[in-house]
Amino acid sequence: MRHVAVVAEGRMTYGYSRPVMRALERDPEMRYSLVVTNQHLLPTFGYSIEEIERDGLNVTDRIYNTLDGYTPATMSKSLGVFLISFTDTLVRLAPDIVLVVGDRGEHLMAAIAAAHMNIPVAHIQAGERSGNIDGLTRHAIARFAHIHFASGPDAAERLRRSGEEEFRIFLTGAPQLDELVNGQAVSREELERLFGISSGDPLLLVLQHPVTEEFGDGVAQMRETLEAVCELAYPTILIFPNNDAGSEDLRLMIEQYHRPFMRVERNLSREVYAGLMRAASALVGNSSSGLIEAPAFDLPAVNIGNRQRDRARGSNVIDVPYDRQAIVDAVRTAVTPEFRERIRAAGDSPYLGDGHVSERIVDILRTIPIDERLIRKQIAY
Amino acid sequence: MSRDLEPYTIPHSATVRQAMEKIEANKHRVVVVVDEEDRVVGTVSDGDLRRAFLHDVMPISPVSRIMQLNPHVTRDTDPAAQAKLLRSEHVTVLPVVTEDNRLIDVALAYEPGFEA
Repeated sequence: MRHVAVVAEGRMTYGYSRPVMRALERDPEMRYSLVVTNQHLLPTFGYSIEEIERDGLNVTDRIYNTLDGYTPATMSKSLGVFLISFTDTLVRLAPDIVLVVGDRGEHLMAAIAAAHMNIPVAHIQAGERSGNIDGLTRHAIARFAHIHFASGPDAAERLRRSGEEEFRIFLTGAPQLDELVNGQAVSREELERLFGISSGDPLLLVLQHPVTEEFGDGVAQMRETLEAVCELAYPTILIFPNNDAGSEDLRLMIEQYHRPFMRVERNLSREVYAGLMRAASALVGNSSSGLIEAPAFDLPAVNIGNRQRDRARGSNVIDVPYDRQAIVDAVRTAVTPEFRERIRAAGDSPYLGDGHVSERIVDILRTIPIDERLIRKQIAY
Repeated sequence: MSRDLEPYTIPHSATVRQAMEKIEANKHRVVVVVDEEDRVVGTVSDGDLRRAFLHDVMPISPVSRIMQLNPHVTRDTDPAAQAKLLRSEHVTVLPVVTEDNRLIDVALAYEPGFEA
């Protein structure tokens, strides 16, 4: 029986790996251990370990690694703490494969530890471009990963061109779309009960993270967004940013701008977030979900600034600079039925998802030979 | 009919322990969290403190970490309307705010002197 160690560090990447863990549970020849760290364990970010526990997943380890402060220095040092702790976890768990996700630092640390210990690393959402320190992290993970799961042809091609061998690259699609395609989203009625939103007015969903390479500018950037939200005065649900450097100031800013027509949330479960994406008129901010997941609901995304600069996107995305008037104008366009119809007609999201991505990933994890060829990597530029 | 709001409010920079002390003194099971410009940014109730304790949040942690971010507030200054809201929303302290969310009063389910 193959044993896969899975890392979960925050709500976004958890959405990528949860359907894969579900598929691992269904497979009698596979088992997994879930190592939980960073944001999931912090009350400031909604203590989302509780969602994982409610999901009934097999949490074997909780690695507390996050230093308070949320500066570039604490971010880096927190990763060091995780690297040290995760090494001990690997010694104890002795998994056959380590499964990492996306472009976050903890996953890079997990890949580094596993590769040094000759444990093959499989990487979900490999090969994409993303802005920020995250983009560097994703491609650093690729160098340490032995198996790459690409969500679209563009990502697979980038892995080839960066010297990854063909037999390691699998075009599987994006597993986080499985749950969306299979309808795992809370109903409109449930949303009305939870948030008191009513149909009629356009509903905005706002999620804006700090941009690490623009550390120090986050407050001014957030102010433009919040001023736009105040001017539009549509019912709005604001979600706290992740805990990257600069996030503390953004959270304070959101609290200051909180008006009665807004709701502020520390953290939302995947099902609620999916329900909101289905119910919303537009997603506003700089989350990758506007590019990857929103197309599954034909949801317009007003994408602000540089965080997603390099990421592939479809017709649902309107790119705007950090400018309140540009944001207001883009939102007004985005919420029109004509814009929604154009997204539907275009159907051009670069992220593939047919509801069976997780099963394909688990098939590969079960059958790929774990041998010297897999472990001994060559970068074949 | 503005009252002294000091017993019912704490600044955003306060600690969890200070919220506990305030609630212990005001006997209304809730305290309102305000920023430097008196805008309501949250509330902390006995229940929030209990949940914080169960999550191993320390007394010196900032109260902003555990507060309710979306408290019931009202802009209605009519006492009868406020009393109705207090009952329908099952709250003991209802912040009364201006359009831009600045605290001008609190409506109380139990008037001062009532031992809850």
